Amino acid sequence: MMKRNLWIGSTFVALMLALGAGQLLLEKKADAQAGGKVQVPRFEVDPTFPKPLPNHWYQGMSIGVGVDANDHIWIVHRPDTVNALEAAEDAKTGECCAKAPPILEFDQQGNLLRHWGGSDGDGYQWPSSNHGITIDHKGNVWIGGNGGGDGLVLKFTQDGKFLNMFGKKGVPIDSNSTEHFGMVAKIFVDAKENEAYIADGYGNKRVAVIDADTGKFKRYWGAYGNKPDDTNMGRYNPDAPPIQQFRTPVHCAEMSKDRLVYVCDRVNDRIQVFTPEGKFVKEAWVSKRTLGDGSTWDIAFSNDPQQKYIYLVDGHDEKIWILDRQSLEILTSFGDGGKMPGQFYAVHSIATDSKGNIYTTETYDGRRLQRFLLKGMQTVTKGEDQGTVWPRSSTR
Amino acid sequence: MNLLNLLNLLNLLNLLNLLNLPVVYSVPMRRIFLLSALVSGAVTVGFAQTAALKVEPLWPKPFPVAKHWILGSVTGVTVDAQDHIWVVHRGVDSLQNNEKGPTLEPWASQCCFSAPQILEFDPAGTLVASWDVGANKGYDWPHDPSGIAVDKAGNVYVGGGLAPSALPAGRGRGPAPEGAAAAAPARGARGGDAPAAGRGDAAAAQGRGRGAAPAPPPPPATAVLKFDKTGKFVSAISGVERPLAVAVDDAANELYVGDDGHGRIAVFDTATGAQKREWKANGDAFKTIACVKVGKDGMVYVCDRGNNRIQVFSKDGKFQKEAKVAADTKGDGSVWDLAWSPDRKTLYVADGHNKKVWTLDAASLQTTGSIGQGGRYPGEFYGVSAVAVDSKGNLYTGETYEGKRVQKFVKR
Repeated sequence: MMKRNLWIGSTFVALMLALGAGQLLLEKKADAQAGGKVQVPRFEVDPTFPKPLPNHWYQGMSIGVGVDANDHIWIVHRPDTVNALEAAEDAKTGECCAKAPPILEFDQQGNLLRHWGGSDGDGYQWPSSNHGITIDHKGNVWIGGNGGGDGLVLKFTQDGKFLNMFGKKGVPIDSNSTEHFGMVAKIFVDAKENEAYIADGYGNKRVAVIDADTGKFKRYWGAYGNKPDDTNMGRYNPDAPPIQQFRTPVHCAEMSKDRLVYVCDRVNDRIQVFTPEGKFVKEAWVSKRTLGDGSTWDIAFSNDPQQKYIYLVDGHDEKIWILDRQSLEILTSFGDGGKMPGQFYAVHSIATDSKGNIYTTETYDGRRLQRFLLKGMQTVTKGEDQGTVWPRSSTR
Repeated sequence: MNLLNLLNLLNLLNLLNLLNLPVVYSVPMRRIFLLSALVSGAVTVGFAQTAALKVEPLWPKPFPVAKHWILGSVTGVTVDAQDHIWVVHRGVDSLQNNEKGPTLEPWASQCCFSAPQILEFDPAGTLVASWDVGANKGYDWPHDPSGIAVDKAGNVYVGGGLAPSALPAGRGRGPAPEGAAAAAPARGARGGDAPAAGRGDAAAAQGRGRGAAPAPPPPPATAVLKFDKTGKFVSAISGVERPLAVAVDDAANELYVGDDGHGRIAVFDTATGAQKREWKANGDAFKTIACVKVGKDGMVYVCDRGNNRIQVFSKDGKFQKEAKVAADTKGDGSVWDLAWSPDRKTLYVADGHNKKVWTLDAASLQTTGSIGQGGRYPGEFYGVSAVAVDSKGNLYTGETYEGKRVQKFVKR
């Protein structure tokens, strides 16, 4: 334990040195502003996005969103969660509706473009529960899966042509496996090293890194950079000392431009930050008293060159937190529970486009894709809960 | 209807299609031709009026942020003489655990509390009144309130719904079970380190049967509750079982109740609560009396939901006529609620199973078109259970199950 503390301490010192005097000054300034005013990006929900689906198609639990190089929005949902009433057309009890295919592509106007997926194919098995979607630097589409035994990630072209299956189905939980995964939540692909970072997952408790073309295992790590351990750690207790392992699910692993990996340790209500090699850098809690499903579901970075802000979706408190990426301090939040535009039920996934707009999807009985338009900067009281962000013309 | 008008109508429809506007017509074009050829102009007028409605996605206004209120399953919407919109919903009992985090023990998240179960909005969507009705307030508040009506003096009548045991599990129509709060810690454990179930997220949301035995179902409602315009309890009009639907005939000071448990329409004196008359269905028994409405034509319209039909009676219960809507519908049935356009030419029928609002020619009761489609986006429906129209012809809907919304459709 002492050794670890020493190690954490030395990491901290190294970090402070790396950040430099300028950053220290900035942080002092931020401290001085605690409870004061802060500048944050301002968003408004776009209630016209997306357009209604064609073919009486109905969208199920929506558990992944990504944006491609053309600013097209890709989502993955779970058709098998569309219940008998919702899919009354499939059940032949009524006229509406039918289950939509799991992978859906939308353009910036909200029109549905390509749609595919959902069944096994030559050389691959479809996950038993869809989870996570990422479009990589080559334009390929990656998905994970969090059904029992889903130990794989799949890669397709945007037309749905199968490219790779890494890992396999029907495998046990093993956070130290170099053969397969344990119910993968999300994938990030690092263009520079052509490596895929796997948020692994609902069964395993680690981040795994593989070669994005061959799938060769390169490295993996648990919380604080520890060797992952599948021992049941019991229920999350916000008053207990932080546990030294991730809890399931490890729900995101996203790399910033300055090559730090941000991991969503969802049920522990925390974000842990690592180097690409898995060295622990820092951590922060968000809504630390949130129980059950936890608060840190997914993140995206603001699209300024410094990626100054983290947008964090919290599907239990039903909002998007805005954090300062360097200090990991909470600056503000927006959104609230509900079924109206700009409100959430179980907001699960987040992505941004080239214009800085935010896209979210909701699981459980939320089942929507929503867009929030970036409307410049605004001044808020630090920590301010903005609530539902409607277009200003509509609320004045 | 002459050819020119028909062409204009078709052009309008094409234009709407090109714009991909959220009003969706399920009547195929060939059926429009058929209708045009076969029926009178009134049908087409009704249909054209449908085309004039589109969803107002930013209505009503969000509740105050500090409240963290959300709606439960909406089971009644009506419009009063001031064009204010009244809503009743099933409250916390219809919320999934993840929708009521701050009410769980231990506290689990910031979101959310049930909004008060009776709400009044003005036409702009501003919350005017919210009544904190519920258990232990000196009257027997129903577990599943259903149906709402307002009389000329502003008194509000609320019916009561199905016993939860009759409700399908997992649809959130109530089965956030009584044991839900007790089940929360068990769910916490699952969310912690227990291996995720086959469908991780789904299992977490429902909290079904994890550790907590389901409590015995509460008894069905046996009265319609009357409140005055300030929300003060006035009286319980009893002798009914599962009074799913209520309506007021102001001219006669009479309350019409869809007494589902007894398969009848019962009429009461609004002042004394004394029963005046009753009648049952014509032909096959009513199969879920989802609405009763008194039309300006002096007739009483009954939504016989499970039989996919509307039956029309005189006020003294003499059967007049009936009509099927989406006759092949199974499951929950097609006729959930109805309301007239101000010009009385169009009858709107909420259909929670097919997830749309049908438009009917009010005179012939022939279906002429529909509004909406299934989905969670603005202008779409999930379990649309209630429909009401204001004096300007704006349409309001309420959604039960996991819809949990009220929506407004305005004239273009």
